Amino acid sequence: MEFDEVYKSYWQKIFRLCMGYVNDFELAQDIAQETFIIIWQQLPKFRNESNIGTWIFRIASNNCLRQIEKEKRIIKTDLPINLREERQESIDPKIQLLYKFISELPETDRLIISLELEEVKQAEIANIIGISEVNVRVKIHRIKEKLMQKFKENGE
Amino acid sequence: MENNNVDFTAIWQQQKVVQPNINELQNKLNRFKRNNLKKLILSNILLIATIGFVIFIWYKYQPQYLTTKIGIILVVLAMATFLLVYNKQFSNLNKIDDTQTISDYLKSLTELKTKQKYIQTTMLSLYFIMLSSGICLYMYEYTSMMTIFWAIFAYGITLTWIGFNWFYIRPKTIKKQQAKLDELISNFEAVNNQLNRK
Repeated sequence: MEFDEVYKSYWQKIFRLCMGYVNDFELAQDIAQETFIIIWQQLPKFRNESNIGTWIFRIASNNCLRQIEKEKRIIKTDLPINLREERQESIDPKIQLLYKFISELPETDRLIISLELEEVKQAEIANIIGISEVNVRVKIHRIKEKLMQKFKENGE
Repeated sequence: MENNNVDFTAIWQQQKVVQPNINELQNKLNRFKRNNLKKLILSNILLIATIGFVIFIWYKYQPQYLTTKIGIILVVLAMATFLLVYNKQFSNLNKIDDTQTISDYLKSLTELKTKQKYIQTTMLSLYFIMLSSGICLYMYEYTSMMTIFWAIFAYGITLTWIGFNWFYIRPKTIKKQQAKLDELISNFEAVNNQLNRK
């Protein structure tokens, strides 16, 4: 698979995963870009033994987790100014709330629910995270309940 | 329950962002590569300069004693080890497989930090030992030309300085490094435990 193709079809998905993880628009863009740099470097090594989606989501999730190491560092964005001006902050409060609530979950739950909402199959999610499918199902159920609860408390 | 069911998937997928041009990613990648290369070159220049400086001393002052020569070699070795470890920290030591499962990745991260902890401590001690013994050996030739009083004085001052480094600076540095790594390790472990929780 060509990088251009991967980049085109996965950019939004990876961005959303990062956004759900950090709930910070610029930081999420940075982490997403970093992820694609890793994908770029690793792509020649990709053998079709696993699904490309699984492979990409593993890299992205692992890169998000790597933020634990960097959290205290100030991350400087080096996106060009013109790009920053046209950034599209979501106006719909529901979207903002959902991402906010997700980013408040424990780290691995953030990743699991993001993958679920990205409509990744649960068997694949199990394969990305490294836990059983049953466990994934249970966790997703609990996370959704938690989110629902948060929305309710918020009067939605 | 069904009535107030929020369609998370639909909301989730409405979040959009402009896709940066692919060239931009390329630029970022190049910048990243250049920075790494710069770091590598810089530390190697330092290494070569150190060795050059020692060779210069060797020729200029023509040490007679074997102890002086061994001393010089030990000091250079100390610095070289330090720089090599420093170089390595930026390359393969920090590499872990990005494509493994999250659970395995977290375990690798924990292992990596534990390994770093060990290397940092050992290397720092080794560095101090080599540097200190190198200096003491190096001094011998020159102090042997002094009167007993000044020789003892010179060694006294040097050993005090070495002692201060060994008993104060070294443990303090190690403690600081360890605390940082321990915190990371416990964070990674805590995150990994989230997965095992039923």
